[in-house]
Amino acid sequence: MVHARPNDKWDRSRRIDWLDVNALRRARCLVVGAGAIGNETVKNLALSGIGHITVIDMDSVELSNMNRCLFFRARDEGKPKTDVVAQGARELVPESEIRALNGVVEETEIDWNSYDVVLGCLDNIKARLHVNAHCRYHRVPYVDAGTDGMRAKLQVVLEDGPCIQCTMNNSHYRVMERRFSCTGGDFSYYEPPMAAEITTTAVIAALQVREVLKILSGKENACIHNVMFYDGFSNDLLELEVEIDEKCPNH
Amino acid sequence: MVIEITVRNAENGSTLNMEVEPHTTIEDIIEGAAEFWQKEAGAYVLRRGKRLLKGQSTVQDAELKNKDVLELIPDPEGG
Repeated sequence: MVHARPNDKWDRSRRIDWLDVNALRRARCLVVGAGAIGNETVKNLALSGIGHITVIDMDSVELSNMNRCLFFRARDEGKPKTDVVAQGARELVPESEIRALNGVVEETEIDWNSYDVVLGCLDNIKARLHVNAHCRYHRVPYVDAGTDGMRAKLQVVLEDGPCIQCTMNNSHYRVMERRFSCTGGDFSYYEPPMAAEITTTAVIAALQVREVLKILSGKENACIHNVMFYDGFSNDLLELEVEIDEKCPNH
Repeated sequence: MVIEITVRNAENGSTLNMEVEPHTTIEDIIEGAAEFWQKEAGAYVLRRGKRLLKGQSTVQDAELKNKDVLELIPDPEGG
């Protein structure tokens, strides 16, 4: 029996038998992307008690972000997304260390080995492949989420399993440099803004962080070992088996 | 030997019958189906049952059979 500890913010979390809250407090997570998924993910990580969170993004807050980004306010327009997200998370959990890195992930020097898990909250395939390759090389677990309107997907990349690139084909490489961002501006590969809303984002970010909690609690065997697709309209959650692609350069 | 497969569009449930050869790749099928449905340029994957099919594998590699039903799924890449 676990006795109530009223002074412990994570008292209720400690009542979940497989969750290692002490490990979460020690853990270091890198969140790549501070858009819609990134906002939800950082909130979930912070409230779960992750002790050290770094969030990296290159963008600034825009009005069109505000239908789905918890930490953004109208007064934040023009500010770096990472600063706003980090500040919001610090207010939620002042005991944790939340760092903001404002920059392009491909152009930023990152000590990948200093992180226990990396979370992909990205809006383009090029950056996904970059992060995926570094995580594979440094053997850091990578949990990647993506959305498109009411659809979303989630993939957990562990040392012995397939990676993001193993699931890709020519259709991905054709649009590799396109940003599937809801804002769409200030980028050389401009595409019309895509549909995006909070409920699908919230579902996939919750699943993403839950997989991270399993990894950090030593329950990797309970993680999704394939790729999961979510249809928010029908509420179908489909897990598809993926094999390591023998031609994938990351294996 | 040419076989006939059905590709289902996960976005609207419509179907397309295609004749494919053993050397036809999964990428060819994705491209053909996306073109038929005039889909916008984007990332797509193809599944058979619970298995996601590798893009570069052929009909023969993937052990597709006559009358198999595949599903074309958009691969969400937004954040």
